[in-house]
Amino acid sequence: MTVEEFGGSVGVSNEIDRFPIGMRVLAVDDDPTCLKLLDCLLRKCQYQVTTTNQARTALNMLRENRNRFDLVISDVHMPDMDGFKLLELVGLEMDLPVIMLSGNSDPKLVMKGITHGACDYLVKPVRLEELRNIWQHVIRRKVESKSQSKSNNNQEKPNHEGGQEAGSGDPNGKVNRKRKDEDFEDFEDNGNEDDDPSTQKKPRVVWSIDLHRKFVAAVNQLGIEKAVPKRILDLMNVEGLTRENVASHLQKYRLYLKRISQQANMVVAFGGSKDVSSYMRMSSLGGLGDFHSLSGSGRLPNAQLSSYSSSGMLGRLNSATGMTLHSLTAPTLIQPTHTQNLTGSVSSLNKFQPVVLPTPPNHQPTNLFQGIPTSFDLGQLQQNNKPNTQLPDFNTIDESRFFNSSSTFPTLGSQSCLNLVSSSSTFLDVPHPMGDNFHDQLPPHSSLNYGHASSNNTITNTMTGFGSSITSTLSVPLEGQSQSQRHVQYGKQSYGQYSSNTFSALAAAASPPNGGGLGGPVSQSNDQICGVYNRSNGNGPLPMQMNKQTHKSNTKLKMGSGENYLPSGYDSLDDLMNGMMKREQDPMIVMDGEFGFDPYSFGSCI
Amino acid sequence: MERNQMHTQVANTRKSLFDQGYLDDQFIQLEELQDSSNPNFVEEVVTLYYRDSARFLSNLDQALEKRPLDFSKLDNLMHQFKGSSTSIGAKKVKTECTHFRNYCSARNAEGCKRTFQNVKKEYTTLRKKLEAYFQMSRQVGPVETACQAR
Repeated sequence: MTVEEFGGSVGVSNEIDRFPIGMRVLAVDDDPTCLKLLDCLLRKCQYQVTTTNQARTALNMLRENRNRFDLVISDVHMPDMDGFKLLELVGLEMDLPVIMLSGNSDPKLVMKGITHGACDYLVKPVRLEELRNIWQHVIRRKVESKSQSKSNNNQEKPNHEGGQEAGSGDPNGKVNRKRKDEDFEDFEDNGNEDDDPSTQKKPRVVWSIDLHRKFVAAVNQLGIEKAVPKRILDLMNVEGLTRENVASHLQKYRLYLKRISQQANMVVAFGGSKDVSSYMRMSSLGGLGDFHSLSGSGRLPNAQLSSYSSSGMLGRLNSATGMTLHSLTAPTLIQPTHTQNLTGSVSSLNKFQPVVLPTPPNHQPTNLFQGIPTSFDLGQLQQNNKPNTQLPDFNTIDESRFFNSSSTFPTLGSQSCLNLVSSSSTFLDVPHPMGDNFHDQLPPHSSLNYGHASSNNTITNTMTGFGSSITSTLSVPLEGQSQSQRHVQYGKQSYGQYSSNTFSALAAAASPPNGGGLGGPVSQSNDQICGVYNRSNGNGPLPMQMNKQTHKSNTKLKMGSGENYLPSGYDSLDDLMNGMMKREQDPMIVMDGEFGFDPYSFGSCI
Repeated sequence: MERNQMHTQVANTRKSLFDQGYLDDQFIQLEELQDSSNPNFVEEVVTLYYRDSARFLSNLDQALEKRPLDFSKLDNLMHQFKGSSTSIGAKKVKTECTHFRNYCSARNAEGCKRTFQNVKKEYTTLRKKLEAYFQMSRQVGPVETACQAR
């Protein structure tokens, strides 16, 4: 393939004609020596280089204009934000290729980079030859997304598509790669099968919370295996959305689920929690498989667990694993558990607990499972607890947030969940206590994640990613908040900020008056959430207020919850899980570490 | 002639730095990046390194004063310092850093303190040598201080 061909088909900026010359790279590294070296090396490759030693600054720049850069290179070890979290956020929000850089060549870290969505992992000191090749990641990404959409177009049969899409993220990836090779020839010819001509550069779709909720609802409705982009698209019934958009989003979502389930499993493994339910929660959220084991206590619905497993495809999402699962499983579920654990007040939550608890198997699976009608839970929740239902809504939104925030705080996981879930008043109460813990733990990133979910924080990203699309607009506000919040508030704050930001952004951006209400409710929930968060951070307007707001928003969320349910579920789920887990048990801390330490865990989920 | 002699001297100094293990290939990478648009690149990077790493070293000093020792924190600090050192090709410094980190993971306080002293020693020695080397190169003029061959 020639660069020109790529340029034409890819439809990137003018530089594509001379690609890789002039490729715009954003380099992030807190070490000035390394950064300077990297800068020089990249310039030697004739790339256009922008450097910053602050991850947040990088995020801001990216959010301001996602088309300003082609590639991001980031150090893993940074003081203001974990490199993985940044990775997730960027990947989710901006869908830009990210290369990790580290002085440490530990395979575990490399693996982590990959699961969080990094295109490549370089070990310092980086050599010029290695950097000369990094442009391939930019091209690959474009080709894959094109071929993915193309393949979607080519496969009219939903089942067929579903089969392909339903496969785990890997097969999907492989399919895409193969297509890339096969279809490369046809690129120019077949460009038009897609809704947009492949040759044209499609405008990036911002996966707002609202949109994500619809997406999740559609996926749930179809069942995760049968969720084919075409069908999802039809169900979503959103104008201007192409099958391609849905397909790529679906892929991310799957990765997210996967990651969540992995995390959940990990959490479960760590488990040992004194509180079975807490375990369950965790596992349910993260590892569906683990649920089964947890369910030993009889609390967890095995069904749920299994459902999760299938859904846990999103690798990115999984970063939060604990978190992601939460969100996935069912916002409602999380809520109950959270509230219960956290606030203890939510007895009704018990119902939800199914996530953790075996509550009605039917319900549970749904909750845990994204595909499973979260709405189901919502309905129940609604009946039982208003707050619960609301949470789910939040969850969708929150999830994205979670992801953002979750990644930031390791322990928060459970807490964060709580925070998110806290949309309900009870929840808010709980978070507080937890929030404190989080504060220390949560990295500011989390907040970022949420808003930016789209690209960063793998975990949170996954969640946020979905939600971030929405938040992207909001991200700005979030950013500001997140910063202040980040450190201080962490668990709670991050979410709060994000959630509020995201939500508000979303709400503002797309607040359908209707029940689609992700926008509407979301905003509310955001506010609520943010409120909660703010409190902890101090930034927040008022945590207390948030509670109230959450209630309101919760109700609204409910409306949209059918669809939103899942998305919010994620956020909240993860948060819940994390929060719960943390609170519940010390051993969970291990998990938290899992969660917490990666801000992205939350975000990545998304 | 004198200039040639100086050139030779600079080249020899440079070579000895490599031979004695103070610098490794990474330093050559830095040199390769130096060109007409970036005439003092190597010196700039090294100066930046010394300025920035002073901070790490003092942090490490402080952390080593605490009781009990926070090994994970020490490890973190050292990881960053090691990263910088690797970037400029400070071979001996890097080696000592690795030893330090090994002792950290073994939670050996005495070992940590001891190797940290070594780290500082190598760091200071290298600094002096590099400063002398740069000074010499500057005297010789902007001409390539030495051929790439070691």
